[in-house]
Amino acid sequence: MTAIAASQQSRLGRVMKAIGILPVVLIITCILLALYEPRFLRTSNLINVLRNASFLAIISAGQMLVIIVGGFDISVGAIVALTSVSTALSMVGLSTIGIESAPLIVLLGCLAGLVPALVVGIVNGFFVSVMKISPFMVTIGTMTMAAGIAGYVTGGTPIYDMPELFTREIGRGRFLELPYIVYAAAIVLLALWYMQTQTRLGRYFYAVGGNEKASRLSGLNTRKYIWLAYILSALLAGIVGIFLTARVGSGEATLGSTLMLESISVAVIGGVALKGGVGRIQMVALSAIFLSVLSNGMSLARIDSKNHIIIIGLVIIIAVAAESYRENRRSRHV
Amino acid sequence: MSEKTQAYGIDLRAVAPHLLLPLAILGVVAVFAMLQPAMLSADNAVNIMKQSSLFFFVACAQLVVIITRGFDLSVGATVSLVSVASSMAMTALLPSIGAGASIFVGVVLGLLIGAAIGAVNGALVAFGRINPFVVTLATMSVFTGVATTISGGFPIFNLPDAFTFAFNQMTILLLPIPLVIAGLVAFALHFSLTRTVHGRVLYVLGDSNEVAHVGGRRVKEHLFLAYVTSGVLASVAGLLMTAQTGSGEPNLGTSLVLSSIAAAVIGGASLRGGTGGISAPVYGSLLIVCLSIGMNLQQINGSLQPVVIGAILVFGAALDAYRTKSR
Repeated sequence: MTAIAASQQSRLGRVMKAIGILPVVLIITCILLALYEPRFLRTSNLINVLRNASFLAIISAGQMLVIIVGGFDISVGAIVALTSVSTALSMVGLSTIGIESAPLIVLLGCLAGLVPALVVGIVNGFFVSVMKISPFMVTIGTMTMAAGIAGYVTGGTPIYDMPELFTREIGRGRFLELPYIVYAAAIVLLALWYMQTQTRLGRYFYAVGGNEKASRLSGLNTRKYIWLAYILSALLAGIVGIFLTARVGSGEATLGSTLMLESISVAVIGGVALKGGVGRIQMVALSAIFLSVLSNGMSLARIDSKNHIIIIGLVIIIAVAAESYRENRRSRHV
Repeated sequence: MSEKTQAYGIDLRAVAPHLLLPLAILGVVAVFAMLQPAMLSADNAVNIMKQSSLFFFVACAQLVVIITRGFDLSVGATVSLVSVASSMAMTALLPSIGAGASIFVGVVLGLLIGAAIGAVNGALVAFGRINPFVVTLATMSVFTGVATTISGGFPIFNLPDAFTFAFNQMTILLLPIPLVIAGLVAFALHFSLTRTVHGRVLYVLGDSNEVAHVGGRRVKEHLFLAYVTSGVLASVAGLLMTAQTGSGEPNLGTSLVLSSIAAAVIGGASLRGGTGGISAPVYGSLLIVCLSIGMNLQQINGSLQPVVIGAILVFGAALDAYRTKSR
């Protein structure tokens, strides 16, 4: 191989390494969709895609944090359901004990609704970081428990009678044409981006995930950061639960059942390495948009919704196969 | 793997861990028997035997790959797809080639599907070197989708009566047929895990990937084979469960994924790989089945049952962590 060819290749390689293949795939998918189905470009449809991507991005951001510290959070979907039920119940409860003002009910109801999510996050973090139990087992356990409690409390029927302010304003309201959830996602993404790139906390998360033993020996309180990652993941799932509840207009124990798989898929497609220590929030956000565009496109193309999971499964395989191919090549060069 | 320590006399500390699970199972049965005498009735005993034999296969499927420090999230999808596909084959062929031949085709097809799914998983994990969690997560969604697509989401009825008889109701020497098959599989699996090179390699793989590679065996082939075995075992579960319900169900295996892992780990397999014998799925499936049948008899709310199972799961995993620490 000549020197020129090598330098060209490395320049291309550097560019590809910096932006990755995902933006390219995303743009190609969007162009193909727009050509195939002009309805894709309608404003209402694009806002719809953005809304779904926002839900996905928030919950996947939490999943990313947990995967970065070398874990997993299987319980996020159940946390969404549990938060939905607890938020609805506390709003109904607050209005029956005689609180008149709707904003107060909504505010207190949301805060009270987040409490179970916080508890699940603390429990997950405790068992994983202090008891050193496999995160997979812990979060499966808390998932089944949280889903069971949500189902038991509601008895299988949705909870209605939440304030109009919550269901109409937060659920369907818009600011500058965009639903509120988009702003919420933007705030979460920006905050996490700042944390990951500009703060010591972000560095520590990577360090703990990259090599837990080394970080502990160099004086980091690794337990604290692992615990914190699970709590943040649970809280972000809880926030998604609140917004979904507002959107649906009722507290449901079946809400978010697909979000666990989707959040892991988004993280994996976004290049978050399952061995820990690697993952950037901007790629996760892109990957959330990609997955939303993909499922929106499949709906527009009238592909049966039963087939969606087949295609998403195939996309996951291709994404990780590409990732592991790159990894293998890199390790061979070294 | 630790060698068996030479014990002079009975060392209680060495024996205690082995007695823990049988005692726990007996304890569960005793508690529910006190609450509900029906727990000990002959019908219920047969029921427990059948249910835990069915569950045993998925737990075994999980064990084989957990030993290698892997996972198989696709067991549930395998069960569903096998149930649907073999039922469709049987009902389609029944009028033309008769009951015996159509059952044969259905069973062979089911086993082949299991082997094929296992081969896909195994190829991606062993040769593609992709994380087993992600691989089986993806194949799980793909094959669940295939199962619901080919069945249209509806159960498939009108299976040949001979099928449900031969794979569920028949008894051999008073033992229900699922238990007999479970016994044979348990014996074969135990033999291959403890007495063959293949079994050794799987344990070494789970203990340390590097050591296995340095050891010079064709490690990838063995790992591949482990996933194929897992797929075939899951397909056996799918066939037997189809015979039990009497129809092909596209969501037969949905709830099995997590509980199969739970059963294997509670029974003593470690998610860190390298440990766990045939006793793990035996004890694990008996414990979980006894619990859930007991809770059903006691008429505990259906949505609270997973809470109990989840708590046991975390407890079992804590026990696992404790065991590993003391090792």
